[in-house]
Amino acid sequence: MDIFDKLGEIIVNLYNSSGLASLDWQNYVMIVIAFVLMFLAIKKQYEPLLLLPIAFGMMLVNIFPGIMGNPSTQLMTLEQLQAANLDPSSYTTSMLDGITYYNVTENGGLFYYLYQGVHLGIFPPLIFLGIGAMTDFGPLIANPKSFLLGAAAQIGIFITFIGATFLNFAPKEAGSIAIIGGADGPTAIFVTSQLSPELLGPIAVAAYSYMALVPIIQPPIMKLLTTKKERSIVMEQLRPVSKLEKILFPIVVVVLVAILLPDAAPLVGMLMLGNLFKESGVVDRIAKTAQNELMNIVTIFLGVTVGATAKGTLFLTPKTLGIIALGLIAFCFGTACGVLFGKIMCWATHGKVNPLIGSAGVSAVPMAARISQKVGQEENPANFLLMHAMGPNVAGVIGSAVAAGVLISVLK
Amino acid sequence: MENINLALTLLIAGFVIVFLVLVVLIIVITLYGKIIQSAQKAASKKHGETDKPAIRSVTREEIEEYDSDEIPEEIIAVIAAAVDSLYGSKPHKIKNVKRSRSVRSSWGNAGIAENTRPF
Repeated sequence: MDIFDKLGEIIVNLYNSSGLASLDWQNYVMIVIAFVLMFLAIKKQYEPLLLLPIAFGMMLVNIFPGIMGNPSTQLMTLEQLQAANLDPSSYTTSMLDGITYYNVTENGGLFYYLYQGVHLGIFPPLIFLGIGAMTDFGPLIANPKSFLLGAAAQIGIFITFIGATFLNFAPKEAGSIAIIGGADGPTAIFVTSQLSPELLGPIAVAAYSYMALVPIIQPPIMKLLTTKKERSIVMEQLRPVSKLEKILFPIVVVVLVAILLPDAAPLVGMLMLGNLFKESGVVDRIAKTAQNELMNIVTIFLGVTVGATAKGTLFLTPKTLGIIALGLIAFCFGTACGVLFGKIMCWATHGKVNPLIGSAGVSAVPMAARISQKVGQEENPANFLLMHAMGPNVAGVIGSAVAAGVLISVLK
Repeated sequence: MENINLALTLLIAGFVIVFLVLVVLIIVITLYGKIIQSAQKAASKKHGETDKPAIRSVTREEIEEYDSDEIPEEIIAVIAAAVDSLYGSKPHKIKNVKRSRSVRSSWGNAGIAENTRPF
């Protein structure tokens, strides 16, 4: 009988320590959402490099919330310490009411430590270093007017700021929500870590999810705002850009932006450092590391920990859902403003600019440029807009970093 | 009301600052692009006509003189374009295009590349 009692006790203990006893319904909803995101990443291949780690982190934290647990300190008396077979000399002490307590610290979960790179704003500039090392700014140098499209797509950020303010979000929170419209995950994380760190989870998840869902969100807006004739416009080939121009570009940009807007310096500085590694051609090994190993490592850590911020009990709240909805509005506004400015440029150049490249002004490199290419080719199979769209696309990266600098300098 | 005022101020200020910074970048990049282009044009003029990329001077007869392999003209054009993009404005001339006769298989080459790549 004793054996059966023990067995029953073990089974009860096992059940109590399992997710079945401790998880709420919100956790299960988030697990289902994580499955859907994994499906989109694997089957539909929507930005799988981002979406897969995000979805997996989301699933893991909702099954085992302790993986994001903060480190804790427990106060123990000498007797309790000895009873637990712990060495008193290994711990610092505190005096409370004349009694000596030992500060027994317990480590946090694995993702808690990895998340510090997000929380402290370290990962976003490192991602920008990798993006810079992978980006060819040639199309932008060949056609600097693309910068205007990169700037126009940032208007969505500031329009959403007004919307969030009307919905009673505090100014710093509104700024963090609005930056989702830049469609730039690292920038959104950087701004939020500076302005309202408590919103990092929902904002990061929203920003990265919308970046991954660019192929679904953008085309209907692009088609709605353009005519068939405009979508069929074939653009002139870009001029070749010399190596010297490419080398000077990152130096010139970083000097100007850092002087005019110092708050944008961490992001733009690292972006341009990565690009200088690539274009200088003298630090090939470093450039390759920034493009591959470093970028991949940071992406894994960033992805899983961003996903792990989406704990069901904290995530499925009206406020978070409001942030997600506003983020989508910001993203749509950004796309629409880019396309509308593209139409203005089309009119100003007497039809030489295809307005579809305007939507690439939201960052989301290179997905947004690929969408411009795809939508353009649907109308005219002989039309190759990719390189033309890469100009506004990389301008959008710089533009969203500048917009981030504006938000931080005004709201911080 | 205070927050709404801040939002409107930020909309206008943000819009103006972002555009202003990017317009400054447009002006600077256009200017230095023009300076560099004109400097490079002047330098290539100095070198004279003989230093122009030799894409047009390569004929099939010339190539066959060195190599009996049939290399399609499109491939030669692509190789010439690649060489031209690599050397840019530096004086250069393509004398012949030969098919490489590697004694190693592609797998062998891939293995050597993998093991000798700097880390």
